[in-house]
Amino acid sequence: MISTDQQEAFIRLVDQHRGILHKVCRLYCFTDTDRQDLFQEIVIQLWRSYPRFRGDAKFSTWLYRIALNTAISDLRKQRPPTTPTSPDQLPTELQDIQYSAEKEQQLQLLYTAINRLTEVEKALTMLYLEDKTYQEMEEILGITQNNLRVKMNRIKDKLRKMTKEATYGIG
Amino acid sequence: MELDSLKEIWREARVGDMADAPDALPGRESLLPLLQQRSRGPVARMRRNLRIELLCIIIAYVPLILFYLVEFQGRLRAISIVLFAVGALFCVYYYRKSRLLNNMQCLTCQVRSNLARQVGTLKKYTRFYLLASTIVIPAMAILTYVIFHLQLFYPGDGTVYHRLSPAPWWKNSTFWLLMLVPFTVVMYYFNAWYINKLYGRHIKKLQELLREMDEE
Repeated sequence: MISTDQQEAFIRLVDQHRGILHKVCRLYCFTDTDRQDLFQEIVIQLWRSYPRFRGDAKFSTWLYRIALNTAISDLRKQRPPTTPTSPDQLPTELQDIQYSAEKEQQLQLLYTAINRLTEVEKALTMLYLEDKTYQEMEEILGITQNNLRVKMNRIKDKLRKMTKEATYGIG
Repeated sequence: MELDSLKEIWREARVGDMADAPDALPGRESLLPLLQQRSRGPVARMRRNLRIELLCIIIAYVPLILFYLVEFQGRLRAISIVLFAVGALFCVYYYRKSRLLNNMQCLTCQVRSNLARQVGTLKKYTRFYLLASTIVIPAMAILTYVIFHLQLFYPGDGTVYHRLSPAPWWKNSTFWLLMLVPFTVVMYYFNAWYINKLYGRHIKKLQELLREMDEE
């Protein structure tokens, strides 16, 4: 039985890392409805797994594993992608952040480019952008560090090529 | 611009971690109701379908078993026994499937090992599903044949079965064999098609993901 204190602690932790969850949902879903569904599913799975979290690993590592496992293996039929997300379609929290116009545009372009990657590549790119070390990536994904480096170089090339083709400016 | 230079922009979008006081973040209250919700993931849906299957079997079988046990002065209780045996087989089926579903995913494990586990367990699950759904009818037929042919649970009234049909065709093992073999073959292919329709795409997708993770 989970006590109210544990429930409070859980909500606080998840709330602190809400940004990560939003990003996972953003990367793996194309529509707001799918994003909401995935966000809900991840929170449910986190909550169900929480009693077994002993703090051996960092909370963020544990959270990444559950979020990515849920997102990657949740193969529900997704609604087709709509037009690229405009700034006013961003989650409320993101809208509140005052980006410069250039930064905002770059973020949109980055999301658009990442959306064209495979599920595994998306996970790698996200962890890379989150500044995770290759060791942390290995702990989350279970891919050897050498393989991760090879894959990451390939992804960078792919993104560079993609953005060059679309004259996105990354490359 | 290189991907590395986008890290800063990416990090700035990290909403939760930017707050000094998490309690002040909007939407915190919205998390609480989610904790009461049920999962709608693939494994949860499979578990729910299995429970519905069990419920349907109980609703269909229990009244029938009781009916043949009580009605006709218990002279057709052999039918109850057949149905009861099939019901017992279904309990084994339910238990096995339920255990496989419990082992199907480990969300706190590394993504690769979770995928490998899902692929392995799902394959076992579909193999068992195919086997169980194919043999259920032949098993029922063989059981019926044995009970009626050996006159187990015989009502003691030699005329009761014959009154149902004057020609004791059910005693003819060639007839059973001729009926059973093609039926089982057809059922096998139908079930294989149906199970592939249900899980084929899912397994293929998981295998692709696993292959992608492993390739250098």
